[in-house]
Amino acid sequence: MPTSAPRRVILHVDMDAFYASVELRRHPELAGKPVAVGGTGRRGVIAAASYEARRYGVRSAMPTVTAQRACPGLVLLAGDHQHYAEVSEQVQAIFATITPLVEPLALDEAFLDVTGSRRRAGSAAALAAELRRRIDAELGLACSVGVAPNKFLAKLASKAAKPVSTPTGVRAGPGVVEIRPGEELTFLHPLAVEALWGVGPATLAKLDRLGVRTVGDLAALDRRAVVAALGRAVGDHLHDLAWGRDERPVEPQRVVKSIGHEETFATDRFTADELRVELVRLADGVAGRLRGAGLAARTLTLKVRFAGFDTITRSVTVTTPVDTAHGVVRAVDPLLAAIDPSPGVRLLGVSAANFTAPHQQLQLGLDATPGRAAAEASGWHDAEQAVDRIRARYGSTAIGAASALEAAPGAAGPGSGRARRALRVVRRGAQQWGPDG
Amino acid sequence: MLADALGTAGRAATGRTGALPVLSGVRLVLDGNQLSVTGTDLDLTIQLTVEVGGEADGGVVLPARLASDIVRSLPAGKVELEVSDDNVHVSGGRSQFTVRPLSIDDYPKLAAPTTSATTLPAAEFGEALRQVVRAASTDDARPILTGVLFSAEEDGLRMVATDSYRLAVRDLPGQQALANAQRVLVPGRALGELARLVGGGADLVMRLGDRDASFEVGSTRLTTRLIDGEFPNYRQLIPADHPNLLTVERDALLDAIRRVKILARESTPVRLAMGGETLRISAITQDVGNASEELDAEFRGTDLVVAFNPDYLIAGVEACTGEHVTLATRDGMKPAVLRGQDAADYLYLLMPVRVPGS
Repeated sequence: MPTSAPRRVILHVDMDAFYASVELRRHPELAGKPVAVGGTGRRGVIAAASYEARRYGVRSAMPTVTAQRACPGLVLLAGDHQHYAEVSEQVQAIFATITPLVEPLALDEAFLDVTGSRRRAGSAAALAAELRRRIDAELGLACSVGVAPNKFLAKLASKAAKPVSTPTGVRAGPGVVEIRPGEELTFLHPLAVEALWGVGPATLAKLDRLGVRTVGDLAALDRRAVVAALGRAVGDHLHDLAWGRDERPVEPQRVVKSIGHEETFATDRFTADELRVELVRLADGVAGRLRGAGLAARTLTLKVRFAGFDTITRSVTVTTPVDTAHGVVRAVDPLLAAIDPSPGVRLLGVSAANFTAPHQQLQLGLDATPGRAAAEASGWHDAEQAVDRIRARYGSTAIGAASALEAAPGAAGPGSGRARRALRVVRRGAQQWGPDG
Repeated sequence: MLADALGTAGRAATGRTGALPVLSGVRLVLDGNQLSVTGTDLDLTIQLTVEVGGEADGGVVLPARLASDIVRSLPAGKVELEVSDDNVHVSGGRSQFTVRPLSIDDYPKLAAPTTSATTLPAAEFGEALRQVVRAASTDDARPILTGVLFSAEEDGLRMVATDSYRLAVRDLPGQQALANAQRVLVPGRALGELARLVGGGADLVMRLGDRDASFEVGSTRLTTRLIDGEFPNYRQLIPADHPNLLTVERDALLDAIRRVKILARESTPVRLAMGGETLRISAITQDVGNASEELDAEFRGTDLVVAFNPDYLIAGVEACTGEHVTLATRDGMKPAVLRGQDAADYLYLLMPVRVPGS
């Protein structure tokens, strides 16, 4: 490992069965039962499973239907992204007391560069143990920590620190695994080559033809042979990883490039009118987040997945940046109108990108153009800001578009006629594991 | 010369081949040694007469774009057009083209207004067009705003255009082209074409009918349909007074805005900070960067910042004449008025862009 830079110490902190654990914390009566969080509908997928559920083979990303078959007593909870995000922030707050160099990968995992923080706590392993103790004491949640000289190895180490579910019970993991400088290859080379980041099925097949099974096999190959087989970018990258080399820094602030919402429908939509109702709701969610971030967007993208899973995206760039649902709908509506929904639409998504600071060209008060287009824009902006204030105070379902109210019976299925007059609003992550119900 | 005529008339021919495909062509009619070249989309018609060596009278309609491209590409010198039954042969030098004409029987009969003519000084009128047409809307969803209002004022002719973001007003004192209190709405697109045709020197003859207007410059006549409807009451939009007045050198201001605009992507506004003896122009674009420039200026009033769309601002400053321009403002939300210093006959009113903190 010859590097001239000071040796780094990176932690990878991975919360144990995060969503399930957060749910168990507020449903203590479920302790010891197999619990999973995910989409509860027939199109849902499992987002997280408690270690008890894992004993039955329940895994994340597994279709909910399959999970219920594998584990008949499974307690299935709909995800509550907002709550997980809040808890995640509490975890981040603890990270922040250790180092400012925190790179969140998801709500439940993050890299910490503690190169400069060790002195206070002594060894890196001691620092990691202290971090686990604090998260447990302050938040009642368990996590596993990997300690290593780089991000890639730290992530592998945290995996080795995890508890293990077996059909007979849950075996506690070590909690902290440290790969010390000099031990990298001893740790790495016996691992199956799939452990390397970026090895998917296609790459795996190519490596298999070269007789590569373990990371050590790959490291033993000549770099040129790897590049010849996998191409320059992938080949170089994987060969570096196989030798435990990963120079990527921990990047605290990742710039947000786009803001979007998408939703898989419990039943396919077949008409433009139905889709427009969904579009208004999605646009409302996107615009609310734009305003929350103090941004306006000039490029808007519509995503449509048809019943047969083929997916199309269409984009439009507008001259006046938008940060209102009204503006988003105005821009995207023509794109939606150009799409034939008759084969059945399974998913609709709207995203905004190409951000600028919000600004608005003011208009002259021309008497001949009352209530016209952009003259209204200023009114919409003010109105939607008022919506933000109401939601901040009374909750996200306190106010919304009238069409979102009428859409509610959709949950009861077509033809049932039972109108549940509830307001359906888009919430971030509310739907990421498939529709509920 | 024929190339120019084909090009000019072709600009009125429509690119869309809709109900009447023949409108995508230019009509050539030879009468003695006079060749008239006409293009029209039924709203706008441009007709030119050029002197040629005629052999046999007749007419033909040629695809506008093709005809213009062919004649323009030929080597300098004589061009021959020969019409046979189904084809038109175009030759020049040693080049030969054969083109299928469009049906001349389908070509619409075009009438020009026969109302009494007014003669205007072409140079002054051309300048007025350039100053006003830029403020007209190009959005067909609001047809009234795509027009330029010609109205009779006590002391002459006034031209007004607005796209609802800005408003341009130009007075031509002493020109009595309209009857008392008469108001006519002429399409901005037609006037834009007219501005290209008006050179210096010659006179311009204008005829305003009830439904059409025609303008003749030399041997070129442009006829346009008028827009039906009531132009907005623009007078109430022009503020009577302004607390803040900035005076700055016109060309220096233009250069500065153009430089700063490099960092104002598309519709990103430029901010004008006025105070003391300086004007500071700046632009910030998220994730790209920022730019700013300071200019010496004369300022009377309370320090303030107003943001504008840079293209609208440039268009206004360009339209002002004289060495200096004045910018009169109230605050960051109210219309601002640009004028050439000591030029009372033109004003360009411009709505600001609302930015955070303004």
